[in-house]
Amino acid sequence: MPLRLNLYHEIERNRSASRRDPLKISLYVLGGIAAFFVAWYLWEFARLTGMGHDLAKTKAEFARVDPQAKEAKRKEEDLTRTFKTSEKLIAKVEGRFYWAPVLERFMTLVPREIQITKFSGDTQGEGFRKCQFTVDGLSAGADPRKVAEELRQSLAESFAKEYKSVEAKFRTLEDGTEMAMLDGKKQPTASFAINVQFRSGEAPATPAPAHAGDRKKKRSNELVPIPETNK
Amino acid sequence: MKKLKGKDLTREELQKLCLGVLLFFGLIYGYFDMLLNPLKRRQSLTATNMVALQPEIEKAKEQIKRSANVESQAPQAAINIAQIDTMIPEGAAVSWFPVLISDFFKKSGFDKAVTRMNQEIADKETPGYRRASWSIDVPRVECIGFARAVAQLENEEPLIEIQSLNIEAMRDDPEGQHVLLTVQNIIK
Repeated sequence: MPLRLNLYHEIERNRSASRRDPLKISLYVLGGIAAFFVAWYLWEFARLTGMGHDLAKTKAEFARVDPQAKEAKRKEEDLTRTFKTSEKLIAKVEGRFYWAPVLERFMTLVPREIQITKFSGDTQGEGFRKCQFTVDGLSAGADPRKVAEELRQSLAESFAKEYKSVEAKFRTLEDGTEMAMLDGKKQPTASFAINVQFRSGEAPATPAPAHAGDRKKKRSNELVPIPETNK
Repeated sequence: MKKLKGKDLTREELQKLCLGVLLFFGLIYGYFDMLLNPLKRRQSLTATNMVALQPEIEKAKEQIKRSANVESQAPQAAINIAQIDTMIPEGAAVSWFPVLISDFFKKSGFDKAVTRMNQEIADKETPGYRRASWSIDVPRVECIGFARAVAQLENEEPLIEIQSLNIEAMRDDPEGQHVLLTVQNIIK
């Protein structure tokens, strides 16, 4: 059997050592990981670029829409102001208090036994407004006070048909010193002043009643306004 | 080369392995700290900006739509205002209102009517318009005719509102009455 001598054992050992060099293996592994990381980075960078494009588009759209919206808002405010002005003006025109119907109604109610010496009236507020007029006059007849009272009652009844919260009260009612000629007879007189108060227009919407719990919370000495009832 | 006891790795190999591990951690740290995390931060910032802009764009579009809707209703309001404007003559109210009232009462059969301005105030509710208060003194009227004139005035002049009226019998003229009116008028 021939003797075989391996004269390259040193070289082979070195080669084998070189093959299993941990540094080299580490470098390979690191290289692989680095390649993966580069790919990952590039992927993320591409995503960022895409997002950047989207953002640029969005910004461009915003830059286009925003001035339009600002202009639209300014225009809307102007128009809203115009609407409000228009509405208020129309409300003022349509919500006026008309005195002609009051005078007409009043004239039909004055009997021939009464002479009116003064009529003065005024209105207060807007919308659901408070109106009042005062009539000064002289009544004549067998019972001049009754004549004046009948006028007061007829004023209250007649105006209640058209207006709300009507009140007709005597301010004064006194026997007159002079006699008046009526139907060829001398009749005693009485001077009177009747004040008629009423409300005209649409009553504002009444707020919803408070809950029982809310009411309990009120202090006992707190004044609670009594809502005015409409007749 | 001396092998470590019970292990296949030589000291040199172990040193190299440690160096490799160190390099690995260095790579990881450098990659994440200097490359990937800043990139992610930029992505996040971009996304945040985009998300923040979307509602703004939606809001702006909504505003444009709403404004267009409001604009479509504008002609009616403009007509109303134009109608009211045509009822208000040009110039200072004191130059035309007393003449208007005087002419009106003359037409109604009452020769004399003296009109004086009480006050003129800006109306906050109706910008661009003001309210003027006037006293109208009609020295002699006949009651029925005056009531008819009041009805006509209220019908023909929608911008005028009678605030108060005072009709008083005249002592020396039983057929006549003296009238004092306070009216309010919308002016520009």
